[in-house]
Order: sequence, then C-alpha cells, then structure tokens
Amino acid sequence: MATNDALIEQLRTLVGAPAVTADLDFSRGITAEVRVTLAQLWPALEACRDAGYFLETITGLDFVDTNELVYQVNRYEPRCRIALRLLCGKDQKVPTVSDIFSSALWQEREVWEFFGIRFTDHPDLKPLLLPEDTDFHPLQKDFGKVHAYRRRDEIYG
Amino acid sequence: MDEQLLEPVRENIYQLNLGPQHPSTHGVLRVLLKLDGEYIVEAEPVIGYGHRGHEKMGENHTYLQFMPNTSRMDYLSGLIYNHGYCLAVEKMCGIEVPERARYIRVICAELNRISSHLLWFGTYVMDLGGFTPFLYCFDDREQILDLLDGVSGSRLTYSYCRFGGVNRDVDDAFVAGARRFIARLRSRWVDYHNLVTKNVIFIHRVRDVGIIDRDLALRFGVTGPNLRAAGVAYDLRKIEPYEVYDRFDFEVPIGGKGDAQDRYHVRLAEMEQSCRIIEQAIEALPAGRFRNEYRYQHVTPPKGDYYLGFESARGATGYYLVSDGSRYPYRCHIRVPSFGNLQVLTEVLKGTMVADAISILGSVDLVIPEIDR
Repeated sequence: MATNDALIEQLRTLVGAPAVTADLDFSRGITAEVRVTLAQLWPALEACRDAGYFLETITGLDFVDTNELVYQVNRYEPRCRIALRLLCGKDQKVPTVSDIFSSALWQEREVWEFFGIRFTDHPDLKPLLLPEDTDFHPLQKDFGKVHAYRRRDEIYG
Repeated sequence: MDEQLLEPVRENIYQLNLGPQHPSTHGVLRVLLKLDGEYIVEAEPVIGYGHRGHEKMGENHTYLQFMPNTSRMDYLSGLIYNHGYCLAVEKMCGIEVPERARYIRVICAELNRISSHLLWFGTYVMDLGGFTPFLYCFDDREQILDLLDGVSGSRLTYSYCRFGGVNRDVDDAFVAGARRFIARLRSRWVDYHNLVTKNVIFIHRVRDVGIIDRDLALRFGVTGPNLRAAGVAYDLRKIEPYEVYDRFDFEVPIGGKGDAQDRYHVRLAEMEQSCRIIEQAIEALPAGRFRNEYRYQHVTPPKGDYYLGFESARGATGYYLVSDGSRYPYRCHIRVPSFGNLQVLTEVLKGTMVADAISILGSVDLVIPEIDR
C-alpha cells in the first residue's frame, strides 16, 4: 500500500524510525504503531490531522508500573489505522489534544474519569458518564473485582 | 410609581432541559439548552444515565461470558455488535470459521441493520409529528424480529454468534422467510415515499436543517450514514472488508450537503443495499457446517492487542482487546459511533431553533445506551 507511506514516513522522521512499526498485513487490525513521548504527542497528532485523519478513539491502559494511552487515528480512504502509544507515569499529566481533534474533548473526559489520567489545559475536565461527584476511577486495576494486575512488560515483552 | 415597573423588560438567556424523558431523546439523553428566545445559544448533552460498566465487565468475564453484553450496548443492532466481537476474538486466536457460518452471519447482520433503520425511520417521522408511518415500520420490523427470533431465540438482544460459527443453523423456512420479507419490503417503498418522502411538511422540517459537512465530521469523528450524507463514501464493509462482504455487489449510498434530508435518504437507500446483500448471500449460501466441530469455550488469545473495526447500523464501531494470555481480557474497549455522532451536535445545534433541534436529534439516529456503555 504505497499510498499509506506519506504520513508514516513523516512520523518516522518526527519520532525516529525505531519507534514506528508498520504492519502492512494488518494482522493486529492496525496499519502502523507509533511510540511517542509526551513532547512528541502534539506534533505527531498535528501531522495526522494535516494529513486528513480523524481521531477514532482514545483508550487508557493501567499497568502496575505505568499508565499507557492509545490514540487511534484513521482516514476515510484507503484504510490506514495508526495507533499512537504514549507511556505516562502514574501521576503524570498529559497535554490535551482537544485543540487538534474536537472529538478528544469528550474522549479525554472519559479517560480521566475511568483511569484518573489528568489532561492539562482541557477546557472542561469533568466526568462524562459517571455521576458528577464520583471520586473513584473504575477502570483502574485496583478497583473492584480484578483478575490480574500486570506490569507492562508481562504483556508487551 | 414604582421605579422597577418603569424599567424595560430585559431579555435574558435562559436554560431548558430537553429530556431525559422526552420521547424524542431515544434512551436517556438530556440536553441542556441555553436559549435566547426560540434560538439555541449553546447545547450541552448530559449523558451517562445508562452507564452499566460494560468495559469493566469485559475484564471480569471470560471472552465467551462477555458475549451477551455485546448485544446490549446498541440494542437496536445487537447482532452486528455480536458479530464484530466474535470476529475480533477469532482473529486474535486464529480460529477458522466455516463458510456457511460466515454467510449466515452476514445475512443476519444485514437483517438486523434493516430492522434498526426501520425503527429509526418510524420514530424519526413520529418525532416530526407523523404517527402513521411508525405503525407501518413496526409492522415490517416485526417480520425481521420473527425471522431472527426463529433462528437465534431472542428478539432484541441476540447472542447468536459463537467463536467458530453460529449457535444454530438456519433452515429452509428462514431462507424462504427472508426472501418473502425482502419482496414485501420492496413493495412498501412506494407507500413510504408517498407517505413521508414527498410529504411537503416533512420536507420543510428536514431540508437544510442540521448540516454536518465533511470538515465538521472529520473533527468530531462522525461516521456511518451521518458521514455518508455529507458525501463521503466511508463504509467499513467496503473500506476494510471483514467477513465475506468483499464477495457481494453493493453500493454505498452517499448524500450531498449533509442535512437531515440527506441523512434520511442515505438510510433509506442503505436498506435497499442491505436487501441486495441478503439476496446474494442467500443465493450463494454454501452447504456444510454452521459451526466448528470443536466448541471453543475458554479461549486464551496470545499476548498482545487487537483492534477490529466493523460497520454497525450507526457507523464505524470497533473492539480494542488487550490479552495477557489468560482467559480474561486485560482490557476491553469499545469504540461506539454514536459517541462522535452525539458530540458533533454541540456545534450543529448552535443557532438553530428548538423545533429544529428535535428534527436534528432524530436525524442522527442516536442510541444512548451505546454511548454510556
């Protein structure tokens, strides 16, 4: 898929070639995976927006040693789903990307209420789905019944 | 004379609660409207009344145990969600699915899509004040529910798909019933168009109302018929063909400017395309097993994550599953199309009138429990 290469090449120069894993077989449902740092998150997502991508979803992952955010962007045609993965420490704040993609306004609220990951400069960071006075974060692994609480390297090696 | 009485009346911006019990808010949506007279200054959807914690439940249940949950998120196209979840787990574990099962799944998913669109059609016209088409649509939809009831055992929250196949085989009565239904639905189009599409009151309620253009859709991640109404032929059944959709000949109907009328026409045209897919699938339905000989109960996908995108009745949906190699998923996230479709209304409703807000809310086809999860 040669048409996919433009943005992926651009991301390679932006975050460094080793951080980008392209998977043209689509074996995990994504075209490329990009590991970004806090400082690279904004420029990387801006590059995605300028290339005509939309933000599909933001997800949090809770591990013993770290939190992780997965931003998935995609475009209309042809398919090219890119997952940007950001490792953030347990108490680390993440800059909001709602200025780049408006859909992040709600998705970040959701991640915040469920995982307790704070977003800086978010204009309206309040619970979206949970009651307004909620003081717990249900998708953290120390909440409720949990089968396993793992370190990140136990899953991703 | 009292000084206060001499002061002119100041027009204030006031707030109005739309929902959560308003009939046009489908499910439990509450929209906080700030109004300047009849005009909306700001609209803030307040959601979460139907939050059940499906993502947390996903982590607490084995992969098979989570199956019934999938059809309870978007209860109008539960079978499509079911189907997508099965595909995601099958892809993760490398489970082969017999050809017959793959065709059966497509037939049932498309029937479900038509039933979802029919319900939208009926309730939308009812929101706009026309009661009769609602009865016609529910009559037609009932035929689909009977068909799916016969094959899956439930009318709304189907748990029909299984890893490596489907729960029960379809029989000749189902195939004949599906054929009969398609012929019947096609004969109804004339009624629908005469009753609704050409109705001048209806046209005035939907034309140039609630325009969602391509740029706005891109910013908010709007997908499905709402995006296609803006002229973008983005349909995961075509762009990212899963199951056997690449074997069928069907079109992706698109609109032009993306107003409520375009969304109406796109959904109506989509029902016809679903009929075409069902016809082709029935024609080509292969013989053989409907389920693998081995019954997968406690699957343990290899470590890592998987994303599966599929097209539900409301747009691009996705399961993001992270496996730690055990019987329980480590993380189970669901991307729901109504999320972006509702969020975009914070922009679209600005500056419109309250009566139009009802028309716009209905036209984007929201299912709130899907957003709340």
